[in-house]
Amino acid sequence: MNRSIALLAPLFLGLGLTLPVLAQEDEFQTVITPAFSPVTWERLINAEDEPENWMMYSGTLDSQRYSRLDQIDKSNVAELEMKWSYQIPVIDRAETVPTVVDGIMFITEAPSNLTAVDARTGRVYWRYDHELPDDLRICCGRNNRGVAILGETLFMSTLDAHLVAIDARTGNVLWDTEVADYEAGYSKTAAPLIVKDKVVTGIAGGEFGIRGFIDAYDPATGELEWRTYAIPGPGEPGNDSWSGDSWKTGGAATWITGSYDPDLNLIYWGTGNPGPDWNGDVRLGDNLYSDSALALDGDTGEIAWHFQFTPHDVHDYDSIQVPILADIEYQGSTRKVMMWANRNAFFYTIDRATGEFLEGDAYASQTWAQGLDPNGRPIRVPGMAPTYEGILVSPPIVGATNWYSPGYSQQTGLFYVTSFDGEQEFFKRDEDYEEGERFTGGGGRYNQPMDAFHSSIRAINPATAQIEWEFPIMPRSSAGITTTAGGIVFTGSADGYFFALDAATGEELWHISLGARVHAAPMTYAVDGKQFVTIASGNVVYTFGLKDD
Amino acid sequence: MSSISTQIKHLLAIATYGLLFAASGSNAEDAGNLYNTRFDINAGLKYFERQCSRCHGFDAKGNDETGAPDLTGRLSRASSDVGIFNIIRTGVPGTAMLPVAADLPDSQVWQLVAYIGSLSTDPANIDLPGSVVAGSRLFANKGDCNSCHMIDGQGGRLGPDLSRVGERRNPEELLTDILDPHQEVAPRWWTMRVTDNEGVTREGLRMNEDSFSLRIMDAESNLWSYPKRQLASIERVEESTMPSYTQTLSDSEVDDLVAYLFSLRKEN
Repeated sequence: MNRSIALLAPLFLGLGLTLPVLAQEDEFQTVITPAFSPVTWERLINAEDEPENWMMYSGTLDSQRYSRLDQIDKSNVAELEMKWSYQIPVIDRAETVPTVVDGIMFITEAPSNLTAVDARTGRVYWRYDHELPDDLRICCGRNNRGVAILGETLFMSTLDAHLVAIDARTGNVLWDTEVADYEAGYSKTAAPLIVKDKVVTGIAGGEFGIRGFIDAYDPATGELEWRTYAIPGPGEPGNDSWSGDSWKTGGAATWITGSYDPDLNLIYWGTGNPGPDWNGDVRLGDNLYSDSALALDGDTGEIAWHFQFTPHDVHDYDSIQVPILADIEYQGSTRKVMMWANRNAFFYTIDRATGEFLEGDAYASQTWAQGLDPNGRPIRVPGMAPTYEGILVSPPIVGATNWYSPGYSQQTGLFYVTSFDGEQEFFKRDEDYEEGERFTGGGGRYNQPMDAFHSSIRAINPATAQIEWEFPIMPRSSAGITTTAGGIVFTGSADGYFFALDAATGEELWHISLGARVHAAPMTYAVDGKQFVTIASGNVVYTFGLKDD
Repeated sequence: MSSISTQIKHLLAIATYGLLFAASGSNAEDAGNLYNTRFDINAGLKYFERQCSRCHGFDAKGNDETGAPDLTGRLSRASSDVGIFNIIRTGVPGTAMLPVAADLPDSQVWQLVAYIGSLSTDPANIDLPGSVVAGSRLFANKGDCNSCHMIDGQGGRLGPDLSRVGERRNPEELLTDILDPHQEVAPRWWTMRVTDNEGVTREGLRMNEDSFSLRIMDAESNLWSYPKRQLASIERVEESTMPSYTQTLSDSEVDDLVAYLFSLRKEN
């Protein structure tokens, strides 16, 4: 990427001009400028001012997944055409969100590999293949969802619960740190988050009786700077919300990337289900801080506040969704909020400075709660816990939504989420904890084919927690969402479509059949003044752009 | 019809718990599964629920989302107990099917094999009351089943191909299919009634539907493909196109038809 264009682009965008003007001037340049320049913390804080780059998992620290790029807009999105595709060599499902810095795209691949390609052509610069042991303990597939970048170093999680630092120019390994013991059931799949001078990262393994935590590492050395457990230890507030020693194996994995507010200096991170998932008899109490949003001090990791969405969860309603931060008009004043569509089928708007619950309501089918009380705590329907014989509950184990990223548009002020109205029989089983073995205490069974259920993209007003529009899809999707200043919501579906909706109305603007399931979120970027949008489908990363003049 | 149902249940229980794999010899590969008692099957069930159900489902019927196959019928990657054992032991490269822990004793793997074996019905262990030959005649004549269903390339297109139906449906399920076909209609055989933006209405079997399009086959086997944006309405007709044979066939004729359908499998 020509850095002079990159730096000028925000200025032009701020003046209401669009990138094609620059592109036309740039087309006649014959000097090829080198790609990639170091990513400073200042660049990451101001990432939305560099819309030509996508420098972290959720695009910006507030995780809105809103891009200021508007070259592709509602009037021309139907003219999108494929520019290039990149075939991931190891066959598995791709959940990656690529990162783009100055014309270079970094793509994570299953099981724990990383590739750098030319973002204009998809042609490879380098590959890194991470060596993995044969006896991994992973619950749900060999996935990796993305990288973080600081300076000239990429940071990637691996399935053997390591954090690896890789030279962005060559793919060489700079350091490789064991975060936790994979043989005890720990693993890592999510992109880390850069916060100032630290690499912040979570852990997976909630189905193996782990004890979840959030870590911060020195980006230069890989040394642990701080660790905050998602389950308090003895003597700490909240430890008494676990009966007996159940806190030791209580799960609360932190397996998706969080967000950060530089003004408040708070990190926001979701936590997963308590373990064992479906048998709560052995862990009586609220089980703090499982199924919670944690606000951590950006320097020390100390917990500033928490909000527990599902106390004493027995349905596997992980709260690891990506927290979206925005300042919205709420009851006559501007509030700094965090928006959260939870796996438990409720949407929440929370004051992110204090953790105060502001608004909430069900956004998808659910039968387990009568509603939320004034503090946002669910009012449970009696008798909906899993049984030995099985009991029908909505949402099912996969949730009303799950790990896939929601989006927010600064133009419409709406929150967008991929939602599922399903139900499932939940079973309870008695299990003893054994290190490294699954520790779930039951499971689920569908009573109907998936096609019998309803799925949709829903737009929610965060000031009211009410649904503004929905666009039906089928079957259940696990694709994330990206919004743009072109007035578009980009997302995908399990039946292999990539498509664009009008962010204001939900009207379909464009779709293309990619032929394989989309389990990833799209992202958008620009090179040489031309906007592209990228999505992984099946085993392929596709990039689309407008027709060349 | 309760008599046949009870009888089948009884026979299934015997087949599942008593007569599987009469093993001999010391070599596991040659001898088949030595761990196949009722206790072993229950132990296998427990292990399955804990370690395998996340992908394969609590009912072992698989999961399209995870790509985990249905384990209750013929398995595509293994045709013998040894084959199943090896898959459990070594996994399937390039898929989410990982090997079990290396320190898991072989005996526990065999118990898992026994449980998976118990999910499908071995015809050699079932003595059905009906006549396969008589059922075959009913299928083609009085039952008129072949006007809609195809077997080995012969028959109609308006119902599922039954060439290997015995591999995926046990006798009890076949009985339900014949007497109460409306109870469970697979999405592939839903009848869809669509009206396009020009006001033209068509009805047909749901070949495939996705977020943006629908394809149906009408009663004359014409194939229609619609972008959903060109459809003013899409409606599902709840009833199956298959009639119930409660009033059409006698109890013994239904037994014959069940026996015939259950005999339909690859080796036949």
